[in-house]
Amino acid sequence: MNFFFGIKTNDLNCDITIPRFQNHGKVDLENIVFQAKINLNKWIIQKAQYKENKNFFFINNNYIDNEIIFFLAKEKEILKYKKTDYQNILDLNKFTDTQPAFRANLKIFNKFGGFSSYQSEYPYSMIEKQGNILSPLSSLGNSTASENKLFIRNIYVKPIKKKFDIYFLDIKKKKILFKKEILTNTTNEIKIEKKYIKPDIFLYTNDYIGIPLFVSLKDHHISFEHTHPPHEYIISEDKFKTVAQLKREIHDIINKKNW
Amino acid sequence: MISLIKKIGRTALGIKIRSLSGFKPILFNLNFINKSLSVSDAFCWRTDNNFKTFFKFTDLLKFFYNTQDTAVDLIFYNYKNIKIKEYRISNLKLSNEIIIDKEFLGGIEDYGTFYIYHNKIEEIKKKIIISNRCYVGFSKNDQLPSFLHGNTLVSYVKNNENNVVKDKMIINTSIFMNQIYRIQNYFHKLDKVELFFCNPSSSKIKFKINNIFQSLNTGHSIIINATNFDHINIRSNCHFLRPLIFSYKKNFIDVYHG
Repeated sequence: MNFFFGIKTNDLNCDITIPRFQNHGKVDLENIVFQAKINLNKWIIQKAQYKENKNFFFINNNYIDNEIIFFLAKEKEILKYKKTDYQNILDLNKFTDTQPAFRANLKIFNKFGGFSSYQSEYPYSMIEKQGNILSPLSSLGNSTASENKLFIRNIYVKPIKKKFDIYFLDIKKKKILFKKEILTNTTNEIKIEKKYIKPDIFLYTNDYIGIPLFVSLKDHHISFEHTHPPHEYIISEDKFKTVAQLKREIHDIINKKNW
Repeated sequence: MISLIKKIGRTALGIKIRSLSGFKPILFNLNFINKSLSVSDAFCWRTDNNFKTFFKFTDLLKFFYNTQDTAVDLIFYNYKNIKIKEYRISNLKLSNEIIIDKEFLGGIEDYGTFYIYHNKIEEIKKKIIISNRCYVGFSKNDQLPSFLHGNTLVSYVKNNENNVVKDKMIINTSIFMNQIYRIQNYFHKLDKVELFFCNPSSSKIKFKINNIFQSLNTGHSIIINATNFDHINIRSNCHFLRPLIFSYKKNFIDVYHG
């Protein structure tokens, strides 16, 4: 089951377009969009605010914040949340379990007409996991842009907003360059200074995974894209072992507090 | 009975039948690979209509396996699959970038595909298969490039007397045009929409975009104007045919994969 999320900032707006159909064409008209948000250590589940046509649900900027997540489900499926006392995000149905992945369009835009989007999803399999993000800053950071922003979106199964750390590391010199506390179950915004957009500088998170989203801005133009986790670059059987070894080496930099 | 059918479907013959019929085909067939390889996407480049293409990639062998003195080969094809340039980059950093503009391509203002292959993979003492998904940015009129990651695994390299040759066997086709891919976005309030398709298979592909028929020979690419469509439904004989989407509004563009 896939989930969808947005971005809320001072200078960027966001729309989400969720299809009613799978990418192979199958439609389930009973599905509607629900939203989940944490309140008093419980997931509050309710029908989302959206417009719709026969093919899509449209969630506009007014109904998006950095905490709400959206998903497709039937009214009767939502009743399962009561049985868990709203303590877990639930894998309610298989409608969005498709290959290629079921995606919604996540578009950001500014008041000048600049816009950028990507086909977005947050799979349930990621929601259940803890771990680390490792990603190069210069792959999508743009040193010629006037501004670069990084958004780390985490969705975790429990209704908790727990602090965890994001680091920018020079992995060649084995040095920590930057550290910031961010939150689970949140779209976290981090400004990337140009001095960090260099070939050897990577972002790394402790304890929780998520999707790194990069936004570059210049002359009202916008570029918006996410990076892949490292194991997606290795197809052979050694992928998890190789990535785990690499992350252990990077974790050593953190443990040694090597600034 | 069902488990027996599933078992048959996983045999070499079963996979072949699934592929030819288009019934539950394997999207990326990597079963035939039995040695270390560098697999590439078919990345798209544009230098037409004042476009420049930015390409960013990580030195995967250095990053994951600490291999030194690495290099990559980039091979560029035009939209008719004619090779127009080979370019080796040595002395790699962990993260690298090149700009593909008409000067880089010897004055060519056109579009097509290119592939990236990592050298020295054979020096690693175990079987590894890497796929560099990379990031491609498209800039129009020298404005900020709109970046997206790689679209689909397409080809792997094999050495042939030190010449790099392209081989394509990962994505297959079926006999019938029974593969449906419906882009999960609504196309409205845009000035122009273009779909950039390349044929990722080793066979000629046939496809319909909302009932408009197209065909592409292997390795060929095409940019199709889809401005008049608010939804896009692709029916083809290719098991994985997903275009890049170029959306235009005023002087802004947005590029992403469908």
